[in-house]
Amino acid sequence: MNSLAFLATVNVVVWAGLFLYLWRLDRRITERERNR
Amino acid sequence: MKALKLLLLPYMAAFVAAAFLWPAPAEGFIGESSRIVFFHVPCAWTATLAFVVAAAYSVAYLARRNPRADAVAHAAVRLGLLFAVLALVTGSVFARIMWGSFWNWDPRQSSFLLLLFLYAAYLFLRAAIDDPERRARIGAAYAVFAAILMPFLVFVVPRVTESLHPQTIINPEGKILMDSPTKVVFFAGLAGFTAIFLWLLELESRLERLAAGAPAPSGNGNLPRRPGV
Repeated sequence: MNSLAFLATVNVVVWAGLFLYLWRLDRRITERERNR
Repeated sequence: MKALKLLLLPYMAAFVAAAFLWPAPAEGFIGESSRIVFFHVPCAWTATLAFVVAAAYSVAYLARRNPRADAVAHAAVRLGLLFAVLALVTGSVFARIMWGSFWNWDPRQSSFLLLLFLYAAYLFLRAAIDDPERRARIGAAYAVFAAILMPFLVFVVPRVTESLHPQTIINPEGKILMDSPTKVVFFAGLAGFTAIFLWLLELESRLERLAAGAPAPSGNGNLPRRPGV
């Protein structure tokens, strides 16, 4: 795998991780709003 | 809205992959360093956008004294600072490659650092005031004042002096000096970063409402009013 492809892969993983974190946070907030 | 948020994952994954794999590196840059433009400029753009949003909500607070407007302004400044730091870090990485050191006291680097200090002072100012209403009022006034200075620091100062920084998107020729693949990926990145900022701002606002004990948003886009205001 060349270095650009490696960098691209690493970044995609990082961004996917960020997205999943935001998505879970969004869902937790939605649950708390519903339980109010 | 939920569908748009879900779409952000494949969108950003495609953007990031394309940033590294699709457009050829620009001429006049060392190696692949020009690719940083796909991350560095959107960070700077998002920081500027966040500070404009903060100013708008600060004006709204001063006009109507709605504490939710102050909360959004505060969140926007925090997010703006985050993206400003990211812009400075990515810019410094580029500077190390192109100019030999992370920091060069270049006018654009220095003016953006000054912008970061200007808005960091907003947080220190708020932290120094105990009374919530006074904190919100003075914070809002400061955010408006800072937003008046911001265009000077971001757009004027770097252009009136000699700078190492590559020519920007807004340039004297009035043309976007990028080939088509670069343009597509660049504007896709701008849109993606903006979407992430708006999502983060929405999360912060909802957390603030939960903390204050306010009801969940009705979805009509209006901030709830405090009773009696």
